[in-house]
Amino acid sequence: MDKSTLQRLPPLKRTWWLKHRFFKLYMVREATVLPLVFFILCLLAGMISLLQGPDSWQGWVAFMGAPIVLLLNLLALIASLFHAATFFVLFPRVMPLRIAGRSLPDQAIVAGQWAGVLVVALLFLWLFGRA
Amino acid sequence: MSTDHLQTNHFQTKHISVKRYLPDSSAEPYWQQYELPVDDSTSLLDALNHIKEQLDSTLSYRWSCRMAICGSCGVMVNGIPKLGCKTFLRDYEGEIRIEPLSHFPVQRDLVVDMEIFLEHLAAVKPYLIDDNPVKPYDPKAPETYQQSPEQLARYKQFANCINCGLCYSACPQFGLNPEFLGPAALTLAHRYNLDSRDHGTKQRMTELNRHEGVWSCTFVGFCSKVCPKHVDPAAAVNQSKVESAKHTLIALFKG
Repeated sequence: MDKSTLQRLPPLKRTWWLKHRFFKLYMVREATVLPLVFFILCLLAGMISLLQGPDSWQGWVAFMGAPIVLLLNLLALIASLFHAATFFVLFPRVMPLRIAGRSLPDQAIVAGQWAGVLVVALLFLWLFGRA
Repeated sequence: MSTDHLQTNHFQTKHISVKRYLPDSSAEPYWQQYELPVDDSTSLLDALNHIKEQLDSTLSYRWSCRMAICGSCGVMVNGIPKLGCKTFLRDYEGEIRIEPLSHFPVQRDLVVDMEIFLEHLAAVKPYLIDDNPVKPYDPKAPETYQQSPEQLARYKQFANCINCGLCYSACPQFGLNPEFLGPAALTLAHRYNLDSRDHGTKQRMTELNRHEGVWSCTFVGFCSKVCPKHVDPAAAVNQSKVESAKHTLIALFKG
């Protein structure tokens, strides 16, 4: 082919991801960060109000109990679990683990990660249960 | 297996729409519908050949082996990149829309210009590089490069690529920025980096470490879904991200 025919196409439109179900699912996975940002801001506000004294702390506790805040944080929990579910499946493809020259089956790595989630969740339940 | 499956049957008529582009007669592409007889064994490539031979000799498309090894007959089928020879019309009900591969400039009808893909392939040096052989070459007693089955298994999956370019049409990051080296080129780089006979990793890493190298990938993963040879380019690219991070970190301490 003659080199002069080499041309570059205009880049994709911003709406490219609306073309397929697969791309939409990808964008949902990426969008899980949005409710998580809200949750992180809540935590940060809690730390600041803790430093400011008891009145500020009580105000923050009341804020966290508001139905809309509870709803948004429930959404953040669901989003993080969905992100974990998609990420855990990708992990063995990015980092195939080998033990003694044999590669671990993908299902074992995925199950291991969920076991890790369970251990951390139980640890925190135990910590807060004692308090 | 029962003999029912071996018989070609279920003759019927189907319509396929092809996006035509004839720059000599019309500046704009247009859709053209064809009606053709199909049975259970009719592949999309068979259908295009039928159109070319019986209905409309002006239709242009690429093909060669008709058995999913030459990688020539890639087209978009209802917006999904597919090999014509590996796609069967029995799997489609209703409208079948055939377009040239996305993200490549169209030359004529279903024929695209793959020059940029070939440039990206060449950039990652997809061949064995032996600049630093373990033993100097002795013409009197030449030694073959030996490789164990275990060493072969490390890269074998990534060596199945047929350069069909379907993954480039599936990749939105390549669509957004054609300078991104893209799934197949990065996979081939990873395949040679994993090869025990190769000593070219250092040369390839300078390409892979760039923003247009592995770091433009956001793991959409559609490339691996459309790959007709189950190469899993998304896995290869993201394994290369780990290697690239390691390479950068080691270079940082070495100074």
